[in-house]
Amino acid sequence: MLLIHCPYCDETLPEAEFAYAGEAHVDRPADPMALSDDEWAAFLFIRSNPKGVHAERWRHVHGCARFFNAERDTVTDAFVSTYRAGEPRPGTKCSAGAPAGDDMKVAAE
Amino acid sequence: MSTHRIAGKGRFDHGGPVRFTFDGKRYEGRRGDTIASALLAHGVHLMGRSFKYHRPRGPVCAGTEEPNALVETSRGKGRFEPNTRATAQELREGLEVRSQNRIGSLAFDLQAVNDLVHPLFSAGFYYKTFMWPRSFWDRVYEPVIRRAAGLGRAPDAPDPDRYAHRNLHTELLVIGAGPAGLAAALAAARAGAEVTLVDEHAEMGGALLSDPDVVIDGKPAWDWLAAALAELDRLGVRRLTRTTAIGYYHQNFVGLCQKLTDHLDEPPEGAPRERMWHVRAVRVILAQGALEKPLVFDGNDRPGVMLAGAAQTYLNRYGVLVGDTPAIVTSHDSAYHAAFDLADAGAKVAAIVDVRAAPGEGVLVEARRRGIEVLTSHTVTGTNGRLRVKSLRVAPVSGGRVGAARTIACDCVLMCGGWTPSLHLFSHTKGTLKWDEALDAFLPDRSAEECHIAGAGRGLWGYGAALADGAEIGVTAARALGLDAEAAAPVVERDRTGTGETFKELPTDGDAGRKRAFVDFQNDVTAKDIRLAVKEGMRSIEHVKRYTTNGMATDQGKMSNVNGLMIASDAVGKAPPQVGLTTFRPPYTPTTFGAFAGYHRGRHFEVTRRTPIDPWAEAHGAAFEPVSLWRRAWYFPKAGEDMDAAVARECAATRGSVGIFDASTLGKIEVQGPDAVEFMNRMYTNPWTKLGIGRARYGLLLGEDGYIRDDGVIGRLGEDLFHVTTTTGGAARVLNMMEDYIQTEWPDLKVWLTSTTEQWATVALNGPNARRVLEPLVEGQDLSAEAFPHMSVAECTVAGFPARLFRISFTGELGFEINVPARHGLALWEALMKEGERYDICPYGTETMHVLRAEKGFIIVGQDTDGTVTPDDAGLSWAIGKKKADFVGMRSLRRPDLVAEGRKQLVGLMTEDGDVKLDEGAQVVADPEQALPMKMIGHVTSSYYSAALGRHFAMALVEGGRDLEGRDVFVPTPEGIRRATVTTTAFYDPAGERLKV
Amino acid sequence: MTMHDTRMPDATVTIEDLAPDARFSLRVGADGRAAASETLGLDLPVRVGDVARGAEERTALCLGPDEWLITAPAEAGGAIARAFADLYDRTPHSLVDVSDREVTVRVTGPEALTLMTIGCPRDLARLAPGRAVRTVFDGATVILWRDAEDTFRMDVWRSFAPFVRDLLEIGRAEIAAGL
Ligand SMILES: [Zn+2]
Repeated sequence: MLLIHCPYCDETLPEAEFAYAGEAHVDRPADPMALSDDEWAAFLFIRSNPKGVHAERWRHVHGCARFFNAERDTVTDAFVSTYRAGEPRPGTKCSAGAPAGDDMKVAAE
Repeated sequence: MSTHRIAGKGRFDHGGPVRFTFDGKRYEGRRGDTIASALLAHGVHLMGRSFKYHRPRGPVCAGTEEPNALVETSRGKGRFEPNTRATAQELREGLEVRSQNRIGSLAFDLQAVNDLVHPLFSAGFYYKTFMWPRSFWDRVYEPVIRRAAGLGRAPDAPDPDRYAHRNLHTELLVIGAGPAGLAAALAAARAGAEVTLVDEHAEMGGALLSDPDVVIDGKPAWDWLAAALAELDRLGVRRLTRTTAIGYYHQNFVGLCQKLTDHLDEPPEGAPRERMWHVRAVRVILAQGALEKPLVFDGNDRPGVMLAGAAQTYLNRYGVLVGDTPAIVTSHDSAYHAAFDLADAGAKVAAIVDVRAAPGEGVLVEARRRGIEVLTSHTVTGTNGRLRVKSLRVAPVSGGRVGAARTIACDCVLMCGGWTPSLHLFSHTKGTLKWDEALDAFLPDRSAEECHIAGAGRGLWGYGAALADGAEIGVTAARALGLDAEAAAPVVERDRTGTGETFKELPTDGDAGRKRAFVDFQNDVTAKDIRLAVKEGMRSIEHVKRYTTNGMATDQGKMSNVNGLMIASDAVGKAPPQVGLTTFRPPYTPTTFGAFAGYHRGRHFEVTRRTPIDPWAEAHGAAFEPVSLWRRAWYFPKAGEDMDAAVARECAATRGSVGIFDASTLGKIEVQGPDAVEFMNRMYTNPWTKLGIGRARYGLLLGEDGYIRDDGVIGRLGEDLFHVTTTTGGAARVLNMMEDYIQTEWPDLKVWLTSTTEQWATVALNGPNARRVLEPLVEGQDLSAEAFPHMSVAECTVAGFPARLFRISFTGELGFEINVPARHGLALWEALMKEGERYDICPYGTETMHVLRAEKGFIIVGQDTDGTVTPDDAGLSWAIGKKKADFVGMRSLRRPDLVAEGRKQLVGLMTEDGDVKLDEGAQVVADPEQALPMKMIGHVTSSYYSAALGRHFAMALVEGGRDLEGRDVFVPTPEGIRRATVTTTAFYDPAGERLKV
Repeated sequence: MTMHDTRMPDATVTIEDLAPDARFSLRVGADGRAAASETLGLDLPVRVGDVARGAEERTALCLGPDEWLITAPAEAGGAIARAFADLYDRTPHSLVDVSDREVTVRVTGPEALTLMTIGCPRDLARLAPGRAVRTVFDGATVILWRDAEDTFRMDVWRSFAPFVRDLLEIGRAEIAAGL
């Protein structure tokens, strides 16, 4: 059982309080109907599955209930970092899964 | 009489007898004895039969790594356990012990014939021998092998014991309370660390318990030990004995299994037998010591042949002399100390046979002083004795040649092939090992966790070295915790240091093919088997292991792995690390299922959620069915009624007058905020903007892939407020999905979700008299058809309770769903029952609910859909907002395969004969005469008897089903293939006339 | 008020069912927090796990960045609901009555912390008295309050409560057995 740092609670807590929620930074297209079948299929089905550091989503479901992002090494299972939804992946310029709306910004203060 | 108990020896009180039986014979042991030590005290070495050859066997060890002395134990009614390790199980009054894996008596096992035909049972014999004829495998070979080659019998009664669980967070977990572990715990605790110290034995001390003559800080070892334990207690160290660290997982998460009552004559009321601890430690120190290796020679498995260290433990810890004339065979100095201890206790040592040319000078001097004959550069070429070793054949080895053998009479053989660091837990963490050339052993290399290894576990030998290392590592761990710490290594006198060498099987004379030199005692694997495996092409130790089963028994090769590796690497012609070490996996020792299950058994197996109305259903004889974690009233049988009769009556009563149903398990979500309607538009397929306040609508929820995920009726209670209902099983999933979109895709929406599933108790009233029953109880809402038409919602008072009242129908009848705060649910139900008396109100359960909805063609998500069904497949295209620009799953509804011809569509099926019931899940074919394999065109999803239709009916997902209306398809039933006609799913009141009241 | 007391003469831990309070789930963005605090008569805490206490036994527990659990004596529920209804047009938020969603069980005594460790994987020694968290107990989501060093309170979803209660009783017997 892993220990996971929740970036909202700012505590490192047992995995039993969390739920995995798939790969991070897969943005839902703003206008899905404008996408070709291939583009839509890529959004729906294609995931990176790396050997090594993987950006993924977790939810502190039995805690603050927030979804957040994490980098985890798929070889060692070790967490490299966790960060709030809407924040960029550490060390990259990659935009995050959610646009940082006003709500999220203030909620994250 | 205990013939082999030595007065003044041993750790425990020699006064208190503990009575037990072995194979029906009464014995007396002492408080603190293990089964093995108590039997050895009576001169009994023969305790079991081997797995494959049924060879007589005695204990080899004095701990949990024992491969031979596995017995059946009974601790009273229902408390039967096979494969108990006699060397680890403490005695308790009245313990019944039986030998296992034998037919006949232990001394005369009929299956010992296997041993005479042992060439048949060589490595890979299963693969070779039982290949042909194929049909014989199931009918002949497998049952015979299963019966013959086995461990103990499985218990046939439920386990009456309790098992407990606890979570523990600690700064420092020290595993192993031998000298290194004790020193580490002391050093860290003195520095102020919060320490947990665990050991699998009944008392702490490890090897010190077997070496009382060592002097530490000027005190005899046992006095130092007592003082150290007292100091640990004063320092507040949590000490757990009889506690095995069974697995070491990520981030210093360690599973501990603690045995609490097996050693007690009368366990306290309510006490659990075992407790599984889930420990999270900031730092971990592994101080598990080293395991002694056997030597591999012909006949090294006879009863009376055991490890030298074990004999030393039986003597010093239990006061038991395992033999009067021991012969020692060794390649390590440590066995000399065992010989000396036994000699000093009165044994006549027959000889010390040392495989090495040059043992340590110190031990040679000591042996000479005691007049013990030492034969260096000698090998053992065989042993004799049927049920107990009687003699040893030894021969000098010179230049690789084995000289003339001589026979040495003895009544036990104490062997030592060196020591293997115990690195199982370190291996669990994916810590890497490296081969140490000097020690011929694997040592810990890179650690994947915040863990340290102290003492013999990293190849150190001798008490001084182990204590100093433990203290040092304890300080290192304390400093890592941010504490100031100073190491103070105890001063050790009369230390027992020494060195050794590691050998493959010992050189022998005569026909090597006839020699039975065992490597893995539990799985009966010999050195010859391993060489054969290599000869037959196995090169990696992992392949050798699987081909020979070496190391695959319940001891996970604790004694056999390194010996097996040495032999295999010799046969392959490569260095041991190139042949490799097999992987250790949890648990470290066999662990009961009870300990893993913990509290989750019987009535506490898993959560059973009950509604506020459940007590009424129970009191009124309801049959229940599980629905996700809930138990729901299934039907309410009257005297003499079976399920079919009860359901038919409930259906008829509801359609005829009024039925009442507990719908409290429905998921409920409060959706509120200025963007609530926009959120609903984006989540559900339906349009919500124009839904008026006080109105309700059926909502359909898809996944982004376009498939149906959930459905439910949604009421609009305000401009910004929706009362959403979900399916019973979908409640948590739907809320999670909605939160996901709000939090991560649309954080700009000002809308909040709150689960109210359990805030409300929900009662459904259905039937032509529903309004008449409800009306007198309602305040604040006109229930007339004009004021409160179908698909309405209102906040009002029902039976005096604040309520959210829906007029909706899942039955096709006039229907209401009344939500009241959960604490009032039962009172509301009872008020409605009372009001409904004059209409013969009928409580119904989930089965009737299912029938009534199916008669209307309403789907149950998860029954009539399976995660690959689109709204169109289910005939629900009408629920899609045609003018919407986007909603979850909308884009997917144009995916090529979702608009393709021939998709499975939900249709009705009417069997030719209305008395025939189709099975849910039954496959549908177009032509039963077609060639095999037939093409399946669909399957039955729902099938019931309809009281209203007077016949059976079904729904099915069938390829291109709607185009097949009026055509016949075929469905297998237990009575044969049945013809059925494809219909629409509107079976009953297709025009919905019954709602217009 | 104790409704159901299983006190034993020699028990080192006591388990009691408590009568329901008024409980609301309050959701409001940071822009509305000040107004909501004023309406409630206490400062909504911003650190997850912090509890603020105001007049008339009102408390607010921060469960998440925009989520609070408001508790008050049962008879005060109506006034709170009305005050927030009045606030809505100025400060949109969600206030949902969840008084009936959970039931509350209290665990007290020298072994209370030990009893909690049989079902809760959190390091509860680090949960300071006066704070509370949403966590899991034996697989069920609970809100766990540490009212004092030796006093815990758990709000458990109504249908899960008998299961949680059952485990607490098993654990109490186990602690009483002394092993
Ligand atoms: Zn959190």
